[in-house]
Amino acid sequence: MSGAGDREAVFPTRQSLGLMKSKLKGAETGHSLLKRKSEALTKRFREITRRIDEAKRKMGRVMQVAAFSLAEVSYAVGGDIGYQIQESARQARFRLRTKQENVSGVLLPAFESYQTEGNNDFGLTGLGKGGQQVQRCRETYARAVETLVELASLQTAFVILDEVIKVVNRRDINSELDELDREEFYRLKKVANKKQRDTAAADAELKKKMQAEDKNSRSGGGAAADILAENEDDDVIF
Amino acid sequence: MEGLFFNVNNGYTEGIVRGYRNGLLTSANYSNLTQCETIDDLKLQLGPAYGDFLGSLAPNPSTSALAAKTTDKLVSEFRYVRANATGSLGKFMDYVTYGYMIDNVALLITGTLHERDTRELLERCHPLGWFETMPVLCVATNIEELYNSVLIETPLAPYFKGSLSHQDLDELNIEIVRNTLYKNYLEDFYQFVNSHPEMAGTPTAEVMSEILEFEADRRAINITLNSLGTELNKGDRKKLYPSFGKLYPEGTLMLSRADDFEGSRTTRASLMPQGLGGGPSGPGNMAGGSGGHDSRSLEDMFYEKEMQISKNAFTRQFTFAIVYAWVKLREQEIRNITWIAECIAQNQKERIGNYISVF
Repeated sequence: MSGAGDREAVFPTRQSLGLMKSKLKGAETGHSLLKRKSEALTKRFREITRRIDEAKRKMGRVMQVAAFSLAEVSYAVGGDIGYQIQESARQARFRLRTKQENVSGVLLPAFESYQTEGNNDFGLTGLGKGGQQVQRCRETYARAVETLVELASLQTAFVILDEVIKVVNRRDINSELDELDREEFYRLKKVANKKQRDTAAADAELKKKMQAEDKNSRSGGGAAADILAENEDDDVIF
Repeated sequence: MEGLFFNVNNGYTEGIVRGYRNGLLTSANYSNLTQCETIDDLKLQLGPAYGDFLGSLAPNPSTSALAAKTTDKLVSEFRYVRANATGSLGKFMDYVTYGYMIDNVALLITGTLHERDTRELLERCHPLGWFETMPVLCVATNIEELYNSVLIETPLAPYFKGSLSHQDLDELNIEIVRNTLYKNYLEDFYQFVNSHPEMAGTPTAEVMSEILEFEADRRAINITLNSLGTELNKGDRKKLYPSFGKLYPEGTLMLSRADDFEGSRTTRASLMPQGLGGGPSGPGNMAGGSGGHDSRSLEDMFYEKEMQISKNAFTRQFTFAIVYAWVKLREQEIRNITWIAECIAQNQKERIGNYISVF
């Protein structure tokens, strides 16, 4: 038989059979539950991996377009407007909201981007020349940041899910080991208890016996002379 | 008659500037540049024209470093010419620098408004717009002090006076301040070339009027287009239009009433005498992004027109306008080089032909 060495030593009694059966049933239910959870998470995980792939490719494209639109701006304006843009921006136009999504008991953070309306701090930049380019460049970069946010959200979910899936997959073995540990500990405790009780009982008996012996020996001491004095024993007839 | 004594004072500088003009890149040079695979190749191709200045660049320099070095060359040549210019030509060249000065002062105003250390901004300033007392402006810690120093220390005082108070600097958008100054500057320059005794009635006045009128029209149209859909209202917009040029006064009036792109387009179509009337269907540079020479946008056409006018300026003799034209041509060349370098660096070869070359 395979794995004969790993077999749990079970004492073949009806009781332990029943015990083992209920144990097996519990383990199976737990396992299938965890399996289902792990599958749901893995499905999600795969989907996220696919979306990360897409988002990364998209990011490559979008960033390229954005960088190029900046080149267009510098061509049209003919100078560096970076400082002016930085200084005239007062309020964030592009903002983030975070929310949580529950996937089979795992909370995944998700970032959501939105743009506030009517907040156009440098709307007049490049009024004399290049204004259209500046605005277009801003829109392009807003799209680029949007993609980045999406990617960030996916990657955070990726890391968390990865961790959780690992834990779930490990749980069926790990928890079993823990369970075994607990059982073993309980058994040892029981054994220890029993031993303690046994020794206590044995001690008590021993004590009693010793006391009895003591009494006997004391009473025996007085009778000894009598035994010797009494010589009128009956003859032993064979 | 005006040519009789021109060469006594200005012959040398004119010769130098014409020499510089011959050093500008030609179409053949540009087509070589567009063939380059890397920035280093580009650097090599630029060797004959920019050798001394590009020598100190690290291998595979960034496009901004390239642009900075090419600008350095323009600046050093300009300074040389300025050092050799005397009398009214010197004054004329000072006027050329005022445009850059406005940009620099606007930069310092922005810095002061946001309570930044304006000393750091000095190196960001355009070197052509540098004036000796500029570091003095950095001493100012609030906008009122800055305003007073600008009035005292810079040649831009007349452009501030009368149209902008120090409260305006605080309240108005910096772009409006800048464009108000620029409007005043253009009007003053126009006035200068047409009234100065050594220039009025000479080819200088003639050519410069054409250039400045074009510049005024271009600004009026650009401001209109760029302010559509922003908080700039029509009344304020009207104040930014220069009060001369081919569009003035009917065209600017109509532009000031335009509500949308179509409105400004109609104005242009009816009034622009420069063949730009119709324009493409979209505003802005390289509209649509489809590339190629067919999709030239309005701004591209403006640049091209400017280059044409500047090129034609060299057909005239005895005029200061060639200095202005040379600076403009050189600036366009720097923009072209930067554009080509940018296209090479970002691997966007299909748009590389979008530069403007007139020689």
